[in-house]
Amino acid sequence: MTGTEVTEDLWRRLAPQVLGTLVRRYGQFAVAEDATQEALVQAAAEWSRSGVPDNPRAWLTTVASRRMTDLLRAELARRRREETAAAWTYPLETSAADGAVPADKDDSLVLLFLCCHPALDPAAQIALTLRAVGGLTTAEIARAFLVSEATMTRRITRAKKAVRDSGARFSMPGGDAYAQRLGVVLQVLYLIFNEGYATTAGENLQRGDLTAEAIRLTRTVHRSLPDDDEVTGLLALMLLTDARRPARTDEHGDLVPMHEQDRGRWNAAYIREGVALLTAAVAHHNPGPYQIQAAIAALHDEAPTAEATDWPQIRALYEALLRVSDNPVVALNHVVAMAMAMADGADVARARLTEVAADRRIADHPRFHAVSAHLLEMAGDVEAARTAYAEAARRSTGIPQQRYLHGRAARLARNAQTSPPSAG
Amino acid sequence: MKYMILTYGSQQDYDGMAGQDTDLPAWTPEDFAAMGAFMGELNRRLTESGELVETRALAAPVHTRRVQNGSAGTPIVTDGPYAETQEVLAGYWIVQCDSFDRATEIAAEFANCPVPEHVRAAAFADVRPIDEYVADDV
Repeated sequence: MTGTEVTEDLWRRLAPQVLGTLVRRYGQFAVAEDATQEALVQAAAEWSRSGVPDNPRAWLTTVASRRMTDLLRAELARRRREETAAAWTYPLETSAADGAVPADKDDSLVLLFLCCHPALDPAAQIALTLRAVGGLTTAEIARAFLVSEATMTRRITRAKKAVRDSGARFSMPGGDAYAQRLGVVLQVLYLIFNEGYATTAGENLQRGDLTAEAIRLTRTVHRSLPDDDEVTGLLALMLLTDARRPARTDEHGDLVPMHEQDRGRWNAAYIREGVALLTAAVAHHNPGPYQIQAAIAALHDEAPTAEATDWPQIRALYEALLRVSDNPVVALNHVVAMAMAMADGADVARARLTEVAADRRIADHPRFHAVSAHLLEMAGDVEAARTAYAEAARRSTGIPQQRYLHGRAARLARNAQTSPPSAG
Repeated sequence: MKYMILTYGSQQDYDGMAGQDTDLPAWTPEDFAAMGAFMGELNRRLTESGELVETRALAAPVHTRRVQNGSAGTPIVTDGPYAETQEVLAGYWIVQCDSFDRATEIAAEFANCPVPEHVRAAAFADVRPIDEYVADDV
């Protein structure tokens, strides 16, 4: 591999592996991160002169381990001077022979588990994951989440301190704790994905990178845990959702609803891959929320036209999803599927919507009013539908969403002028 | 030196931008896209020159909550305290540049932003130096 160009991709792949190995050997997340950074800096200088070594990961691990040992010794000396290190010893392992390096995939995974430690709040879990496992710089993460670099630095520093204070060992939790932690990991990855996906429209184009990063990280987890059906389901869900991104906005950057999207612009490769992953997962008859959501996304993606969508099946899947998750947005989507699945669906769905509105989390949400408007429109109550669209627009704070909702209201007004007055 | 450039708009302006007709016509998709492209390009240039510290757009005035001191020591919260046509802060840019004149030059570029004529005629921006003494002291 000597002489190979040092690519961005190589750095991003190596950094978390080296960091993972160091943290597993020595603990001390923050020190390990400093040592890894210094090794990367040294590599950047030396490799540009003499080329990339045959085993760049082993090279980096050796250099970083040496640096880590130095830093820990210095730290230990400082603590001794302060006479506070009563019974504190570090495992000062110095050899980093190639043979001692275990399978890299496991170290990346263990690192991901550490970053999603339950002592951290979700914002900290996300930041630490992107930094330590994703290899993004603090400035990049700050930009993606629209906070200043100083704020993000503090958030990451606090997160590392919380991990240290919790006394977490750098090891895989066992038994129930393992399943629980994997659940948090998947949730964090899904949050990163949504953070990017929900805001790709509008002025913050760089946030689209977050969806790509979430997919990349989820692929890593899937490679390590190919037999976990929910991991597979999450990867499928991300691919099947992101597949629609090219058609989600028009040439002006305005949002295009799914039934009006040009399906020819959907990413066919992502759809194929997502469907194949999902098919393999569901064959094990071990369903979970990510597989169910992926199945819903697949039904939309595979429909040749909006009219050909299998709404009865989507409705059944939302019912299955509601049984395993108490999410008000899922309840709203279920109402929409009810309306679409039956000839007289709008009336049934409106009755159900009234029940859903009892949940305070949903009654103030712009989407509640948008769904209400949609059902009123289906039932032919133009005036009430317009009022509901305007209410949804008033409650949302994103201008692209507002433009879409006002556009729906305006179109209703135009149609009302040209068609006979509705009885509804 | 750091300067804050402030821009203003009313609820009526926001409604127009969100595609709603008021006494004034709503923005067309082309209007909205042109403004987005202009602002994106301006922000990119200011980022590249290293002058942009940060910039934010604020949500519509109707989402404002005003908090005031009440008589019995309990704060009084008013939702949406502004009149429909009252101009309030709509967005800001913090820039770090060599002189007040350079900051003014940046603010003057907003005049080139492609917006509907009735918006353009009424638009203005303020440039205010940021009190660095306090910022450095804390």
